[in-house]
Amino acid sequence: MTAARSPEDADARLADWLARCALGDRDAFRRLYDATSPRLLGVIAQLVGRGALAEDLLQDVYVRIWKAAGQFRAGAGSPMAWLAATARYRAIDHLRSRATRPEVAVADLPVRGDGDDPDDDPTHRLPDPGAGPAGALEARSQAGAVQLCLSTLQGAQQQSLSLAYYQGLSHGEIASHLGAPLGSVKTWVRRGLIALKTCLERSGWSEATS
Amino acid sequence: MNLFVADLVDRLASEYVLGTLRGGARRRFDALLPAHPALQRAVAGWEARLLPMALKAEPVVPESRTWKGLEQRLGWIGPAAAVPAPVSVKLRFWRLVSAFASLAALALGLTLRLAPSQAPMIVVLHATQGTQTIVAGLSPDRERLSIQPIQPVALTAQQSLELWALPKAGAPASLGVISADKLTALSRRALPADTRGLAVSLEPRGGSPTGAPTGPILFVGDLSL
Repeated sequence: MTAARSPEDADARLADWLARCALGDRDAFRRLYDATSPRLLGVIAQLVGRGALAEDLLQDVYVRIWKAAGQFRAGAGSPMAWLAATARYRAIDHLRSRATRPEVAVADLPVRGDGDDPDDDPTHRLPDPGAGPAGALEARSQAGAVQLCLSTLQGAQQQSLSLAYYQGLSHGEIASHLGAPLGSVKTWVRRGLIALKTCLERSGWSEATS
Repeated sequence: MNLFVADLVDRLASEYVLGTLRGGARRRFDALLPAHPALQRAVAGWEARLLPMALKAEPVVPESRTWKGLEQRLGWIGPAAAVPAPVSVKLRFWRLVSAFASLAALALGLTLRLAPSQAPMIVVLHATQGTQTIVAGLSPDRERLSIQPIQPVALTAQQSLELWALPKAGAPASLGVISADKLTALSRRALPADTRGLAVSLEPRGGSPTGAPTGPILFVGDLSL
């Protein structure tokens, strides 16, 4: 594992750590935490903002990862996708239980690839665990495919998906935010997801390498 | 699976991952997931598709006390060794301590029957999925072990639970088959000296045919105190 690492290598390493966690290996858990916690905290902070709350939710996420590590099945999907999803679900659960939340600035949403500049804040950008040049390129093209496909969606569909994904808004919240009927929002979200999937399939997207 | 169902599964999975599946529907979906591989596959597919969006979030390095608090919540270090944590974390920690104390009291009662004059070591084994626990009491000489699931574990007639000692290095050593709902007392089966944890796996009736765990690990608990 010293040469250029592919995403498969990084995934294999994460999957190995998860398997060891299921057997109670604390060292593996620490390595998993060190390698992935900045990513997961970033995912959480995007939904709830930075600070003590985000760090608290991050603890919840890793408690769950420790206890549910055996649930991750290698081959069923990418471990990083599973970890990031676990973090997102915890943050969404929190938002669900919360009555008020800060105003959303639609203009700030990273929809069309803005904010994609790797040099925008070098102090917070850690090297992706295990991703060498080849891995970075691969990840870049996958992220690029998703961004490209998002940009082909109709404005309302794109906006609805972004509000749901980046801000954790519900159908109802998106409707009141956009001043649109609930039924329309549900249709935009549903059609947006179908269009995204179709576009990714057309661009040769393969789940196996994600 | 017919086309209509496949379509519905994919749609529910996509909105689950996106986060727009809410309330009772989300809870029902959560409850269905563990038993439905088709749902799991659909969810994993959408998690992978949307992952690049999640990873666009700028990484944020957690504070060092977050790891300390995590160790504390997992019961790996005592509160004294930890740096001050936010109030909510403390509250949750004490809730955990009180839950642990009631389990420990139960296990203590079980073990005292075996070793009335000595203070046993209590090990709580947590389910790798779900919230079930198994409590084990270990005599100070590590030669007697009593173990009992707090909630009965559902098994078919063809399945058994097997207890394993996890050494610091090397393969797990079998400690024998244990009851899924009653107290099991294991004696004269000294634990290997370097045992750092216990695990319970799902095995064919009568235990693993190979001498190593063959089924999923259902419970794990830490012994290194």
